[in-house]
Amino acid sequence: MAAITIENVGKTYAGGVPAVQGIDLNIRDGEFVVLVGPSGCGKSTLLRMIAGLEEITEGTVRIGDRVVNRLEPAERDIAMVFQNYALYPHMTVRQNLSYGLKNRGTPRDEIVRRVDEAARILEIGAYLDRKPRALSGGQRQRVAMGRAIVREPSAFLFDEPLSNLDAKLRVTMRGEIRTLQRRLGTTSVYVTHDQLEAMTMADRLVVLRQGRIEQVGTPLDVYRNPVSTFVAQFIGSPSMNLMSGTVRAGEVRVADAVYPAPGVPDGAVTVGLRPEDFALVPGGARAGMPARLVNIEELGSQRLGYFRVGGETVVASFPAGQVLSTEMTLYPDLSRLHLFGADERRIDPAPLRAGAV
Amino acid sequence: MVENHRWLDVLAHLTLILGVVIVAFPVYIAVVASTHEPADFVSGLIPLLPGDNAVATYASVLEGGVSSQMSVPILTMLKNSLIMAVLIAVGKIVISVLSAYAIVYFRFPFRQLAFWMIFVTLMLPVEVRIVPTFQVVADLGMLNSYAGLTIPLIASATATFLFRQVFLTIPDELMEAARIDGAGPMKFFRDILLPLSRTNIAALFVILFIYGWNQYLWPILITTDAGFYTIVAGIKRMADVVDSEPLWNYIMATAVLAMLPPVIVVIAMQRLFVKGLVETEK
Repeated sequence: MAAITIENVGKTYAGGVPAVQGIDLNIRDGEFVVLVGPSGCGKSTLLRMIAGLEEITEGTVRIGDRVVNRLEPAERDIAMVFQNYALYPHMTVRQNLSYGLKNRGTPRDEIVRRVDEAARILEIGAYLDRKPRALSGGQRQRVAMGRAIVREPSAFLFDEPLSNLDAKLRVTMRGEIRTLQRRLGTTSVYVTHDQLEAMTMADRLVVLRQGRIEQVGTPLDVYRNPVSTFVAQFIGSPSMNLMSGTVRAGEVRVADAVYPAPGVPDGAVTVGLRPEDFALVPGGARAGMPARLVNIEELGSQRLGYFRVGGETVVASFPAGQVLSTEMTLYPDLSRLHLFGADERRIDPAPLRAGAV
Repeated sequence: MVENHRWLDVLAHLTLILGVVIVAFPVYIAVVASTHEPADFVSGLIPLLPGDNAVATYASVLEGGVSSQMSVPILTMLKNSLIMAVLIAVGKIVISVLSAYAIVYFRFPFRQLAFWMIFVTLMLPVEVRIVPTFQVVADLGMLNSYAGLTIPLIASATATFLFRQVFLTIPDELMEAARIDGAGPMKFFRDILLPLSRTNIAALFVILFIYGWNQYLWPILITTDAGFYTIVAGIKRMADVVDSEPLWNYIMATAVLAMLPPVIVVIAMQRLFVKGLVETEK
């Protein structure tokens, strides 16, 4: 168990291409932090720098109170779960689990105890004498988890461990990983490009973009108060609708409707609205946006309507069974209206700030 | 085959049978020749059916009783060939697996250069560099020794290249997992890489054993001491008689015996051999 402190960490590859820059992050003891971002955002590089598989060009990484910059991966007291599991194909599951302990000189009966314990927790006892190739994807994933558990490390590092599983198993496994992590209380850093995985698993989300941290926060905080259009679009599915609008004298005009935006400087803005923040009936003093229905997607529990609104496509979600017609008016929930400036950064209108949090 | 016509099957079989006949016929003649009297073979009419002299021929060949033409007992030559083939095969595998490991897994200065230099030596087989190589071996006093027979043939670009390809198919994550598991470079090599390339090593051993066994020019050049004659070179010496007809039945009997060890190696390691050549999943 340990906190991980990352200070001003950067990675520059040969040729001067910066992959990761100026990362500051404090991961608390026992916390489950998810690094999320599109491919090429540097999330795996950051994780591999914590693991010691990638050299740290600048800054320091601390695990517990030790600076680990110069330590070999094996000396950092971490365990890693890889995307393709990286199980040793020629060893049985038992040998896979005990290999690291054996290298460390752990006494034989202690190895047996820990392997049995891990096998019990993960319910892989029946396959201990099989080779990885005789296991299904989900079972291999468990063995990979087991290899991490037996080490009893101060931190788990996960590098997209669920990407190779089918959708259904992924949902099950993400629950299991989270339950297991809570039970063991081990600090965990988890890398994924799947925003849903990130949202559902994280204590705190770290959204990365082009090697820099874009936003850090709890999943709900990031969801409700995205700091930029990038985060707004990346987190949430279907992603947030972004429409172009103009602010003049404390009011924003978007798609022929005008909404209050007190304290926002005049100029072009991007107006963000999540699909679930539309209603079909006016509430209070809200103005509606005239919309033409283009397509409907049925999700079972809800239906998604795709509309043309003032030349832009807008997605809105409604409860299942909601009747939709070709010409309608959409009424946005003003407390959930997001404004982004020309620099794509969030602008909080003065009175709305309280309601938005 | 995409289509499944009967005549296509017949045609395919005929083609294959023809191929087998072409390949196997000389071997058959050798076996037949070893069962006849020496004179039968040079009478102008080559016999196509086995004769009745087989037992006598093989017995005297094995006893080394044909003193006029065989100064060295065949068992000594078989032993020399065996030592040479095994040393070459093992030496080539050890050296190439180590150099491939260095090239694939270590970042050292001039790594690419080292790889390409090894690769370029592919274009210089023993026959091309045989004169300078002989000079070096002679200067080192390695004529008429097992060292002289094997060392110049051991360095192998082909095997290095093959192991490089094998190692490249092994996912990097495996190495990283081993690093996290506390396995140093040699431990990773011994515990992970070697077991994973087991089938490739076996396949290569078969190929290299036969390569070493069939060495002809080099042993002839550097062995003058009869105690170091190898069997393949020995056959040539048997045919090289000046004052009488070569005893073809004995020569062919020796050739047949010389074929046996490689055949045994191939049969014994066939399963691993095929696996090593076709297996891709790591």
